[in-house]
Amino acid sequence: MKKTSEQQIDQSAKFAFSFFVASAGLWLLAAALLAYIAAAKLTDPLFLSSWEFFTYGKIKISQANAFVYGWGGNSIFAVSLWIVARLSQSPVRGTIFLIFAGSMWNLAITFGLLGILDGHMLGHELLEMPKEVWPALFISYLIIAFLILVVFRSRRQSVTIAPQWFIVAALIWFPCLFLFAWNGLEINAGRGTLQSILSMWFGQNIIWLWLTPVALGCAYYIIPSVLNRPIDKYYLAIFGFWCIAGLAPWSVVHHLEGGPVPMWVPAIGTVMSIAMVFPIAVASTNFHATAFKDISRVWNYLPLRFVIFGTLSYTISSYIGVIFSVPAVAKLTQFSIINEFHFNQRVYGFFSMIIFGMVYHILPQVTGKEIGTAAKNFHFWTSALGVFALLLAYLIGGLTHGVLAQQPSLAWINVIESVKPYFLITEFAFLILGFSQLVFVLNLWKVIVPNPFSCCEKNLEQKTA
Amino acid sequence: MNNIFKFAIYIFLTLAFAWLAFFVGAKNQYGDLEPTSQYLEENNSIPKGADLFPQSMPGVAQLGAKEYLSLGCVTCHTQQVRTIDAGFDVERGWGKRPSVPRDYILQKEVLLGHNRVGPDLANIGLRGYTREWLHKHLFNPQILVEGSICQPSPFLYDISNERSSGAINADNKADDNVSTIFIKPSLRANRIVSYLQSLKQDYELPEMSFIETQDEDDTEDIKLAEVGTAKDDQVGLPTWLADQIASGKEIYSKITPGGGMCVACHLPNGLGQPGAIPPLDRSDWVLGDKERLIKISIHGLMGEVVVNEEKYVGVMQGFGQPLGSPLNDQQIADVLTYIRNEWGNSVSAISPEEVKAVRDSEKDRELTAMWTEAELQKENSSD
Ligand code: HEC
Ligand code: HEC
Repeated sequence: MKKTSEQQIDQSAKFAFSFFVASAGLWLLAAALLAYIAAAKLTDPLFLSSWEFFTYGKIKISQANAFVYGWGGNSIFAVSLWIVARLSQSPVRGTIFLIFAGSMWNLAITFGLLGILDGHMLGHELLEMPKEVWPALFISYLIIAFLILVVFRSRRQSVTIAPQWFIVAALIWFPCLFLFAWNGLEINAGRGTLQSILSMWFGQNIIWLWLTPVALGCAYYIIPSVLNRPIDKYYLAIFGFWCIAGLAPWSVVHHLEGGPVPMWVPAIGTVMSIAMVFPIAVASTNFHATAFKDISRVWNYLPLRFVIFGTLSYTISSYIGVIFSVPAVAKLTQFSIINEFHFNQRVYGFFSMIIFGMVYHILPQVTGKEIGTAAKNFHFWTSALGVFALLLAYLIGGLTHGVLAQQPSLAWINVIESVKPYFLITEFAFLILGFSQLVFVLNLWKVIVPNPFSCCEKNLEQKTA
Repeated sequence: MNNIFKFAIYIFLTLAFAWLAFFVGAKNQYGDLEPTSQYLEENNSIPKGADLFPQSMPGVAQLGAKEYLSLGCVTCHTQQVRTIDAGFDVERGWGKRPSVPRDYILQKEVLLGHNRVGPDLANIGLRGYTREWLHKHLFNPQILVEGSICQPSPFLYDISNERSSGAINADNKADDNVSTIFIKPSLRANRIVSYLQSLKQDYELPEMSFIETQDEDDTEDIKLAEVGTAKDDQVGLPTWLADQIASGKEIYSKITPGGGMCVACHLPNGLGQPGAIPPLDRSDWVLGDKERLIKISIHGLMGEVVVNEEKYVGVMQGFGQPLGSPLNDQQIADVLTYIRNEWGNSVSAISPEEVKAVRDSEKDRELTAMWTEAELQKENSSD
């Protein structure tokens, strides 16, 4: 009885889920390509330099947007939809509206990125897409989030658990964040550096309060459900959740240290960033104490391996992030390519790895088809290698960059010469990641978009059998 | 948490509080800053007729800001000089003082940025780059800075192999006759360069004055090291300093109008003539008090002076006086920077603003009234 209801739910989610995952995959490839071009331009600035379209700044910024809104947004919709439906034991409704809004979302991003490449970007972090596309993005987002929340509202049990808090909160955070930022940047635009505070606040929070909680929610969902044991010290989870909710919106502005803003702004940011050790510790205990009780299962079940890679990377890099917000260290690294380390560890090492795991976990249940083990393993190992190389290069390169930049007697070009080898490593890392993601997306599409011929063959086989 | 509406409100509030503080709070605190004068009256009012700062950018520079934004230069360049505690930005020569919120109130596009793959540009207009240099750099930075990874924008230029009026030689070979690449800036390129030139925080504000880094002991060592390497290897110098020194050297050695003729008396080796003309090489006058050095440069020096414990008697007319062809503030700053960094000397640079400040403080003094050592000493002790 229970099985059938789960199958019904999967069936109801199938179309929308496949749609979002398939588009997420395309955006992932687009972002990977852009990331590679940008990295190549750092090692050879003359690469593709005669076309304005390919200017480094534009490529770099459209890469971040394609990644966060294209890949991030679509995969958030996909996994939240499925997890919320499963946990609520309630089927997905309004698939047609989901598809409609999803197409609008993707179309708006496409236009937005073209706008950036065509020279119409705005100067706010992760709000760079031209003004015109935001209403479309916002409305389509509201439709999708609303339909997911409808499923949540019609849940069987009224008691909620950790994955639901994180995912539902993230769904609500994004539009609030957007409205606050839009108000202060475009409607009641503040003058001068007020804009910079708000733009920094938005750009960092979108990572902290949108991508991060969804990924954490996925981990809270998949670990106990696959291992079949409760989360260790589950009573801490609620504390961890409210810590993130309460601290993150304050902590993100510490990057303004020493800049032309009132001193209390970065000061609050610094204190709150350091306080972030609590939620990080909670999530880490919850996940790893549970996972390490059955480590062989984690290792053998590939989706879980992806997820635990993500949570480990979250823990380690978040602690590193805390260390780098301590003023004495921040002084060195504030404007160095350590910032790339923070961004990439969060979006690749943590968010994407968890989403890969979730997709591999959900896909067979929804479509009834598996992706080949060899392909999955290839994807895992190349991703792990790529992420590792990328983060290590940015970390060591960032430290070198920061320390040398603090020596006024060293000419800037010499500082950059010392960082160049690390740029070369990142170029290779992006190449590896690009290949790995290509394999992922090809397999994904093969499963989702039915091949007319193979399907006929199967039918024939079934009939003859 | 089980009621979605209550939950949504909590989630909303977590953001709302932070937003209230960072936006509404900060706006109340400094949202209505206005331009002001460098120094205020006792009662904190702006003196009549004083120049107000910051001043708004010229229109073409504002258009340039849009172009700069659209090319994404902010991904590598910040435009903020951090406070002294937060980093060595001022020591690096990226500004005369830390940036403050008031500097940005008139800018439409505030592009503070938070990545420094390239140097900070908040004061790029003060680094003495010519338009031609900036155009070449925008066209292809590698022509000027070997190994630069600043991103080229050749699409903003008309490129031709022939020399024509208004075109800039953008070849590695400086000689116009050998060069085969000439570029003509487009409208957009001109806007960007005007924008870059307009970026300067070269005024003091009541809340922030210039910072003297050069005279502090520990930074002095750094400066010495910097110039020390410069002699072996010009790459070690920040470009603005190298430019100032190059221009100073020219003034020092030029004996035709427009030059300072210093070389005629102090000789190329800076050693002067025993008893009559004091040396500049390792002279305590040259390396010491900047103000005294500037004063004697403007008005001249006569009578008995003691340089490095040796007595000299002679007359040196001021280079600021209208006889012949006087040097302007920039030229005086350049030549003094040069003599402070040539031979065995290597200390901090002197900026035109410092020269101007001394000139202004002595504006009642007749230009032909030369200083004597005794007078300088008296003035110093009465201060
Ligand atoms: C990939 C990062 C990067 C991007 C993008 C970039 N720059 Fe640079 N920029 C650098 C580096 C590195 C240097 C230092 C080496 C040099 O002087 O060329 C530099 C130096 C400069 C300088 C000389 C600064 C000085 O004090 O000597 C100027 C001016 C400049 N950039 C302008 C721009 C403009 C305008 C743009 C946008 C079209 C831009 N840069 C985009 C990296 C970048
Ligand atoms: C006409 C010859 C003459 C010329 C030209 C000349 N000086 Fe002098 N300079 C002198 C004499 C003579 C003294 C000493 C004055 C005294 O004894 O009162 C002197 C003193 C100085 C001193 C202070 C003493 C010391 O050695 O530290 C400085 C600095 C100086 N000159 C710099 C310059 C510079 C820079 C120029 C070129 C812009 C220049 N002089 C051009 C003759 C000259």
